[in-house]
Amino acid sequence: MGTLAKKLNCKFLVLFFSVLFCVVVTVYFASKGETGVYTHLFYIPILLAGVWYHKKAIYVALFLSLFYILVTCPLTPPLTPSLSVAVLERILERSVIFVAVAYTIGLVSEKRAKGEERLKETKDYLDNIIASSADAIVVVDLDGKVRSWNKAAEDYMGYTAKEVLGTPNKRFFADPDEAERIAEIVEREGELKNYRTTVLNKAKKPVRIRMSAALLKDKLGVPVGTVRVSRDVTKEEELEEELEERKKEEREKIKKERDNLNLILETLPDGVYIVSKDYEVEFMNRTLIEVFGYNVGEVCYKVFHNRTTPCPLCKQEEVRKGETVQWEWHSRKKERTYDLVETPLRNIDGTVSKLTIFRDITERKRIEKKLRDAEERYRVIFEHALTALCLIEAGGRISLANKEFEALSGYSRSELRGKKWGDFIADEDRVRVQNYCAKRRDGKAPACCPFKFVSRSGEIRNVQSWIEPIPGAEVEAGAEVEAGTEAGVETEPEARAGKGSKRCIASLLDITELKRKEDELRETCEKLTELDDMKREFLNVAYHEMRSPLAPIVGYASLLERCELPDKGRRYIQNIEQCAKELEKMINRMLELARIDSRKIKLNLKEFSLSDVVQEVVKGFEPEAAKKEQKISTVVSEVGEVIQADKQQVVAVFSNLISNAIKYTPSGGRIEIRVDRVEDRGEEVRCCVADTGIGIPAEDLPKIFERFYMVDTSLTRKSGSLGLGLSIVKEYVKLHGGRVWATSELGKGSKFFFIIPKRQR
Amino acid sequence: MEKKRILIVEDAAYMREMLVEMLEQAGGKYEVVGFAENGLEAVEKYKELKPDLVTMDLVMEVMDGIQAIKEIKKHDPEALIVAITALGTPDQRNAALDAGAEEYLWKPFTVKNLFDVLEKLFGE
Repeated sequence: MGTLAKKLNCKFLVLFFSVLFCVVVTVYFASKGETGVYTHLFYIPILLAGVWYHKKAIYVALFLSLFYILVTCPLTPPLTPSLSVAVLERILERSVIFVAVAYTIGLVSEKRAKGEERLKETKDYLDNIIASSADAIVVVDLDGKVRSWNKAAEDYMGYTAKEVLGTPNKRFFADPDEAERIAEIVEREGELKNYRTTVLNKAKKPVRIRMSAALLKDKLGVPVGTVRVSRDVTKEEELEEELEERKKEEREKIKKERDNLNLILETLPDGVYIVSKDYEVEFMNRTLIEVFGYNVGEVCYKVFHNRTTPCPLCKQEEVRKGETVQWEWHSRKKERTYDLVETPLRNIDGTVSKLTIFRDITERKRIEKKLRDAEERYRVIFEHALTALCLIEAGGRISLANKEFEALSGYSRSELRGKKWGDFIADEDRVRVQNYCAKRRDGKAPACCPFKFVSRSGEIRNVQSWIEPIPGAEVEAGAEVEAGTEAGVETEPEARAGKGSKRCIASLLDITELKRKEDELRETCEKLTELDDMKREFLNVAYHEMRSPLAPIVGYASLLERCELPDKGRRYIQNIEQCAKELEKMINRMLELARIDSRKIKLNLKEFSLSDVVQEVVKGFEPEAAKKEQKISTVVSEVGEVIQADKQQVVAVFSNLISNAIKYTPSGGRIEIRVDRVEDRGEEVRCCVADTGIGIPAEDLPKIFERFYMVDTSLTRKSGSLGLGLSIVKEYVKLHGGRVWATSELGKGSKFFFIIPKRQR
Repeated sequence: MEKKRILIVEDAAYMREMLVEMLEQAGGKYEVVGFAENGLEAVEKYKELKPDLVTMDLVMEVMDGIQAIKEIKKHDPEALIVAITALGTPDQRNAALDAGAEEYLWKPFTVKNLFDVLEKLFGE
């Protein structure tokens, strides 16, 4: 019912009653037989329906026309047929006009109604926008009074729309003239954009706002006010300020860091420079400036290459892509080589510069070259050495070998690589050599070790080996395994066990031939020694056998001497005795030398006075000297000098020397025996027997102590000696650790010297 | 004065003869009581004859002089023995003296050498 009540609203009732009025009028006039002007009344409901119900008005028109026709036709008196037709025509004409009017009016009013609806919708939409806008939207009329005040404005100003509408906007500004100023600008410029100002909210607290304003005009283009859109930017500004502050700090920090960095870069031994994307040098440290020189504002290609255009080898492009480039550059201008590292450097302003670090590697290059040269030198030495050389890795594998080693082993160098060193050692020697190598690595074994080397063909060569550990080539057990795998050979477990073992170089000399010769020589030597022993034994027996017949000769001679004999016979006996004595002496000397040779002599050490011995010996020779009218003198410094020696041998030495002196000195000559200390060597005594005899030729001097030496055969024979005396002298002095020599002047005399220590150790 | 009784041990006949001749030169002081040609014989002869002195050659067949000296000394520690040899090494001399010989006479020797030794031994 309610809906019906709504439908039956005021407009509908008006229309209904006007239609009803027209119906009544029609019925009234039709009953009077008039078909007149009253039909103009029909336009009222048709117009009303058209305005209010748009095209629906056509129904009203149709209804009224139909009703008019139905009522008028039967009620109007049929005058004439022609008159009836005229009436019908007029009725129909009127009906068409009604419908046409209704349609036209309906169409027009419908269009208008739609337009209005759209307009309303738009207005609602705008109102919604305005209401829900985060920005405050305020409309102020030309008098400066507030005409619109949305929710956002309420929010930040604290005033509700009700409180402010119609009031002047002036009071909201911190500076009351501000309202005037804004209005003026807007009027003049037509708009105002991002204008910052301060307003006071309801609590009278200042609020920073950003405002945009535009002139509001009516349909005729006449300004009616201004619309202002504003936003509370207090927080924003604070944040901005803070941000600004922080940015400033950041910049300062960066600047400081840059300064520090520059300071560090300044003092670097490496050269450093920074260049912008336009090749402009932004920074160059002292090291680099000292070498290349630099004027502010110069471009890098000018500084380094003396060019007027960027260099073709410039790495700018790669670096600007974000890559770090490392390359080597030789400056022909400065004759130096550099290792360059170039890397992008992002600046504060977002641009990318290129940071380049110059490391001077000229010296390193030079050393590298030197090293290479040295290596080459040593390689040549290694290669052309006359001994077989090979490098043994810690795992016992050969890693390098020279030509000689190839020749010795029968393998080529490539075949040798990775071969086990132990395979070249004969089975019987292997353990011994490996032990030797291990000890050698620790430096606890002698430098060389001979062993039997097995070549590829299985031939055995005797080699002398020198194993030398390579200093500083300590290899970790782990690394060794890796190296072994890399070379494609498995590493022996025993090699792995020896942690920290070293590489060493083995040098092998083929001594097969040498050893064979040595063996031959040794054999010969052994044979000779045997022969010598046999000879010595034979001589020993021979000398004794020679003594045996001497016994009866001497014995019977001494018996014969006691018999009664003629003078002649006595003389003969004496000659026989003399000869026998000489013979005995000679045999004794030979025996003594044989004894010395077989090293059977031991010193019978005693302390005695050298002076006494000299006097004793001289006394024994006095008769002999007297016979030749020779004068013997003795000079013994520090009389009674006591020495420790074999007295018998010392006596024999003096006897031999004095005996020789007498023998080789003509009658009337002089013989002097002198004993003194050796200067600066108080532990030794020097003895000298000098004569004025025939002397010894200089070329013979070195030989006189040799056995059976004779200066002059004829002379010697005359003197009756076999030259064994000096040999015995030499041997005895040697036994005492002394030495003997002689000086002589032919025809004037000789001096025999010997030195012996005062004491035997 | 009683004659000293001497045993001569010597393998060479001419040496034995020579020693006899030499001892005769002493004018009856010494009497040669016997000879032996080797060590073994010497020991037997010593036991049999009990001489005052023995001249002992060292190099002999069957038993050498050193051994003979030892044997004799074993039998009679008071025995006086003079070793006579051509082997002139100190080793030989020491070996003889160690075995028990009183004196040592080198070959060759003269009458005087022999008498010197004997006189020394008999304390004249």
